[in-house]
Amino acid sequence: MIYRWDLDKTYLKSDFESLRKMMRVPFERAEDKIDEPGVVALIRSLKTSARREQRAAFVYFISASPPQIQRAIREKLALDGIEFDGMVFKNQLQHLVRGRFRFLREQIGFKLAELLKARLAAPPGAVEFLFGDDWESDPLIYSLYADVIAGRLDHDVLADILVRLRIDPARLVEIKALSQRVVPADAVRRIFINLERRTPPERFHPFGARLVPTFNYFQTAIVLRQEGVLPTGAVVAVGRSLLERSAYTRERLRNSLDDLTRRGYVAPAAAASLRRDLEAAEVLPSLNPLGGWAGRMRRRWRRRRARPPERPPIPVKTIEYPRLIDSWVAGGSRLSGELP
Amino acid sequence: MPVIAVDAMGGDFAPDEIVKGVARASLATAIECVLVGDERRIQGILESVSYNPEHISIRHAAEMVGMDEAPKEALKAKRDASITVGAKLVADGHAQALVSAGNTGACILACARHFRAIKGIRKTALASVYPRQTEYPGQDQLALLLDVGATIRCDALDLVQFAVMGSAYARRVSKVERPRVGLLNMGIEPFKGGEVLTEAYQHLTALSGIDFVGNIEGNDVAKGRADVIVCEGLLGNVVLKLIEGIADVVTDVASNAVKQRLLWRLGMALLSRGIREVAHLADYTKYGGAPLLGFEHLFLKAHGRSTARAIENAVKVAAKAVRDGVPGEIAAGIQAIR
Repeated sequence: MIYRWDLDKTYLKSDFESLRKMMRVPFERAEDKIDEPGVVALIRSLKTSARREQRAAFVYFISASPPQIQRAIREKLALDGIEFDGMVFKNQLQHLVRGRFRFLREQIGFKLAELLKARLAAPPGAVEFLFGDDWESDPLIYSLYADVIAGRLDHDVLADILVRLRIDPARLVEIKALSQRVVPADAVRRIFINLERRTPPERFHPFGARLVPTFNYFQTAIVLRQEGVLPTGAVVAVGRSLLERSAYTRERLRNSLDDLTRRGYVAPAAAASLRRDLEAAEVLPSLNPLGGWAGRMRRRWRRRRARPPERPPIPVKTIEYPRLIDSWVAGGSRLSGELP
Repeated sequence: MPVIAVDAMGGDFAPDEIVKGVARASLATAIECVLVGDERRIQGILESVSYNPEHISIRHAAEMVGMDEAPKEALKAKRDASITVGAKLVADGHAQALVSAGNTGACILACARHFRAIKGIRKTALASVYPRQTEYPGQDQLALLLDVGATIRCDALDLVQFAVMGSAYARRVSKVERPRVGLLNMGIEPFKGGEVLTEAYQHLTALSGIDFVGNIEGNDVAKGRADVIVCEGLLGNVVLKLIEGIADVVTDVASNAVKQRLLWRLGMALLSRGIREVAHLADYTKYGGAPLLGFEHLFLKAHGRSTARAIENAVKVAAKAVRDGVPGEIAAGIQAIR
């Protein structure tokens, strides 16, 4: 099992809102860096649960930030007690030296190439889970990567897409070569997008059911539990970390579970059983003020009386990249893969 | 943080604008909202906008009361109407206040059926804030008018209770230390307006806990003489709609004049800032809604034409009223005059 993580806005609460704050990032010390609520507990749980079940779990980080911040990041991860197996940064220097400033902020070519390189080095048949955010191009990059390694995306179509996305031509050649070497396997099971910007979830529907937009890492942990990757205890651990470290309330966690269920990422029956476990672990508030048998009967009766129709599952569909990019262009979006 | 139940299906632009308003509130505040209504529709709208799910829950209600339905019959026929489910949520303690932009009659009836009246309260009153001239620096730009439609006719003791309730609301929510209370009448003399108003005048003059400033005439309503004006529901509703109507007329006249002649257009350009200020002052979306006072729980009636912004503000006002303990203050005031 491989877990690939973006860094800024996914693991770290990086502040890029102004140029001044952005310039400050490379000079931040490890102890100044703030992690996203719940992410540390989640990554630790991924490793410990794999160890307990005696299966391999690799955690990799990929970031389009310059390698100069690597030391501070490594120290931060050590402070957080995160075990990881690799880390890649974007070498901005080559673009600076050649005066190619347009490619300094370009992410798609860099990340796609690095992901493909990592895939070639991965154990054959390894299943992957990808983690990104809604700030830049992660939904597109991860989806392209998943479809390329699954053999669902024709090489010429991929080349056309990358040309339209105006990626670095040198990267384009590299990606074409790498994609031809990859042994096709439908390896990416889920792509998680941390909705740090609170982008409306509907905007991710064109990416299909594989991509899960989540509002916090409690929701991510719940979906990972449903995928069989995490035990319930890990969801409890993430929930507790949010309660204790990030001033969450049990009600906020309950609402997060309900939201995920309504959006169709957790089946109602599975959500009900998880809710019972989380209530017992005091991570969710008890909905049962009457307690015991009478309370259960009352809740069952209420549910029967006012049950909304169930939401149909999110369709698993082929992503139509050319149309997706056309709609972005029509919406006036820059061709950087950012959601309009 | 207080929990506010919001009737997602009530209002001219429901559920879209109501859900969007709650979504805005979820991003701007930590107030928890329970959206009551058709779960699938609500969720669909939520997913199309930015929202924070940690502050929003949904309670499914399969039915709704339309704006033009007869309240009594509609509530009888639709047991699972969103306004009924919302009122029950508050009555059962799952939420501390209810907000709705729906059918006013149905809202008041649903509250009357499920909320308990404060001990000693004879009639509830719908109170509305409205913009007025200020008399001194620092005076609140908004005054409170009640009742604006919960009751049609009332007697002198009801008007006295309205004064106590309005005074308590202004003290807690508008933070006016000693609100000045006026009685809406056709003249300032104590004997004007018939038996009910004369008797109410005498009672209010005798009350020590109320700063009664006497009768207020129609032309003084928009001035700063009183912070709270009491009247019966029929009259209050007419006054309120008149204020709204005047603002609409001013804006209409201005926009029509612009189309007529170049000279008028130039004149309007000079006046545009003032006209914008009038429209801005009378903009109901800023004020949230009208609280229904007299129950142990809070109900805030938002305007039927409420937009997302109006609902966001209504949620904020409801939460503020809960935090500031308005029902408790009213109960203490009523206890004091008994």
